[in-house]
Amino acid sequence: MLFSSLSFLYYFLPCVLIIYFLAPKKLKNSVLLLSSLFFYAWGEPKYVLLMLLAILCGYLFALLIERYRGRRLSRLFLILSVSLSAAILGFFKYADFFIQNFNAVTSLSLPLLRIALPIGISFYTFQLISYTVDVYRGVPAQRSFIDLAAYISLFPQLIAGPIVRYSQIAEQLSSRRHSLDKAALGIRRFILGLGKKVLIANAMGQLCQIFRASQDKSVLFFWLYAIANMLHIYFDFSGYSDMAIGLGKLFGFDFPENFNYPYISRSVTEFWRRWHISLGSWFRDYVYIPMGGNRVSRPRWLLNLLTVWLLTGFWHGAAWNFIVWGLFFAVFLILEKLWLLKHLEKAPVLGRVYVLFTVMLSFIIFSAENMGQALSSLSSLFGAGGLPLLSAECLYYLKSYAVLLLIAVVGATPLPRLLLQRLGIRPGGEKLRNLLEVPALLLILALSTAYLVDGSFNPFLYFRF
Amino acid sequence: MGLKPKNILLTVLMAGALLAGFLCCLLLPDREFSLSERRKLAAMPELSAENLLSGAFAEDFETYVQDQFPGREGFRSLKALTETYALGKLDNNGLYLAEGHLSKLDYPLNEQMLDHAAERFRYLYDTYLAGKGMKIYLAVIPDKNVFLAGQSGRLTYDYQALVSAVREKADYMEYIDLFSVLSLDDYYRTDSHWRQERLLPVAERLAGAMGAELPRAEYKENTLDTPFFGVYSGQSALPVSPDALVYLTGGAIDGCTVTGYGSGSPEAMPMYDLGKGQGRDPYELFLSGSQPVITIENPNAETHRELIIFRDSYASALAPLLAGAYARITLVDIRYVQSAALDRFVDFDRQDVLFLYSSTLLNSSLALR
Repeated sequence: MLFSSLSFLYYFLPCVLIIYFLAPKKLKNSVLLLSSLFFYAWGEPKYVLLMLLAILCGYLFALLIERYRGRRLSRLFLILSVSLSAAILGFFKYADFFIQNFNAVTSLSLPLLRIALPIGISFYTFQLISYTVDVYRGVPAQRSFIDLAAYISLFPQLIAGPIVRYSQIAEQLSSRRHSLDKAALGIRRFILGLGKKVLIANAMGQLCQIFRASQDKSVLFFWLYAIANMLHIYFDFSGYSDMAIGLGKLFGFDFPENFNYPYISRSVTEFWRRWHISLGSWFRDYVYIPMGGNRVSRPRWLLNLLTVWLLTGFWHGAAWNFIVWGLFFAVFLILEKLWLLKHLEKAPVLGRVYVLFTVMLSFIIFSAENMGQALSSLSSLFGAGGLPLLSAECLYYLKSYAVLLLIAVVGATPLPRLLLQRLGIRPGGEKLRNLLEVPALLLILALSTAYLVDGSFNPFLYFRF
Repeated sequence: MGLKPKNILLTVLMAGALLAGFLCCLLLPDREFSLSERRKLAAMPELSAENLLSGAFAEDFETYVQDQFPGREGFRSLKALTETYALGKLDNNGLYLAEGHLSKLDYPLNEQMLDHAAERFRYLYDTYLAGKGMKIYLAVIPDKNVFLAGQSGRLTYDYQALVSAVREKADYMEYIDLFSVLSLDDYYRTDSHWRQERLLPVAERLAGAMGAELPRAEYKENTLDTPFFGVYSGQSALPVSPDALVYLTGGAIDGCTVTGYGSGSPEAMPMYDLGKGQGRDPYELFLSGSQPVITIENPNAETHRELIIFRDSYASALAPLLAGAYARITLVDIRYVQSAALDRFVDFDRQDVLFLYSSTLLNSSLALR
């Protein structure tokens, strides 16, 4: 089930909210667990058992890790636990990738397993790994299976993150505060996220789809696609994160922020501090630092960086273009750390242009079906293949989507927020802002509903995560 | 408004909206058909273990909720208005409003579709027409985009290229140009079709080109007393004023008898089915809408000439105006009857033959069988 669906908004969510707030405190986590399992089973009934099994293993291993804390057995159980989670992820997500490449290298033709990827597997296995590692590092293990299962399967963040670490919400699992103010904050955040996804991301996605289907491509059309694709991925992903954070607040949780206006970054290093923050920090804390981070020799440090970015790319999808995408960023990050960063700091405008250009190219690689298509699209941006500069179709869609593109570009910056803040400090501004906020949010909800009712383009971007 | 009252208001209104939506979804009766969209609406999917486990139930349920959502028409209009006026989109779901006309993007030119149409025409020619001394004509009815799309900055293609391609592929037909006798005003504002009351020049052009004599006649304009919201009106969901649906009587039309073969055997039917004029698609008033084979017989004709028209829906409004020039007109729509089965209904024998197709259908011809 998607947050941006009518069945979620007008069936699932009202039912869950009613049951949740009517339930006594001690049953609230059970309600959340059952709701989350229903949410997951709605589209993927057969994989609910897999998720429960993975959670059960994580639960038992954590108890064993805690029981034998300080002894070698504790480490052994940690290794077993992490290996099991990695094996589940590896089997369901990467088996066919490895078989395909093995076949290509050996000229054999081992049959592919063709296993449907369980939705959200990359998120919940990472949360399980972080949980057992945190327990190994000293965080008390969760005694209640229901509480742990509710945390791992919590539907607001189950299928698209943010990756919530156990240590971040361990306390909230047992006692969390529900208040009207927090609920209102959650509603606001949820509606804004819904609007970002339904009204902007879907429109940008549709423009990308039109481009892909077009027989009338031109250099300008490739640029239009590249920009729309950038905006699509950002608004889709950050919109989903906003909805998750908002829903979390409705149920009393405080999830970590996942995006912080990444497109205003002045370096790729800064970009990754603002983009998918929960994933970046997960890799930093559970891969990069355990490998030694930057407190090692320079060759080893470079190896650590390359490993982390290779894994980051691979986490996003089982295909070479994702690996190249990760390594593409590794190259820029290494360049920046070794030399470029100090120059970029002196030229913020140039830095921003450089980041936008680099990220735009990276997302072409990210969104391609394969590396051949990625290279072809990248070269077409610069006129390769004898493409005309303009085409009638491109000009039509540029004109048709101009307002939306403008809204999306401005919306990807902190400008709207700053304008609202500025309005707030003017005499009467705060009052006006408060007066307009509720109607504006309800309008976004009504418009999002209208777009969903009309059956508008509403893709699910996370099917490969 | 202070922070606290604002939070209370927001929470109450959001809870109210979700709850109201939920209760309406649950309690309001389902609708079977959408008159405005002219399509069957999705019904509640069957709840079975197989459907649930395969994920099909979830998928079908989403479609069901979309179709049955309370206030669906209003929400569709809200989206269409937002797209058109607030966001300045040039089309919404491929439909656009320009110069007071609603239309649908017809783009790009599809060579494969033209090939398919030409292949079907060739089959008809080889099977039924060749070697019988029959005169065979081709006329392409311009889509209203010809007069609207380019001028209003919408995507369009070279319609003359379409005509040239079809003529080239069907070089055994004599081409009759209709582009020069039509303009945007000859089409309904809310529908794709042309207006019968504006088609006399078209009928004269066709009859003249085929060497038939169309007697001068006085026609009476009859206006359907219900407003005509054409197919684009409901599909676009934009608030537009309706058209008036006018049908002509008098001349040779009144004395003609019409026979349909929709059920497989001949059945008398009216030239203008006023009941269908009140129905889901009022344009079906003309010759009762979709029919595989129809004959129009004119007992008062001063000629024994007969005409066979291979056609789409546009010919329904035009054929009555040609009735004066022929003793018998046979209309064949190979979207609703297999070409191979035509000799069960039509005796091909020295009639004039007109292939009369809209550019829209030629560019999307898969339905031709």
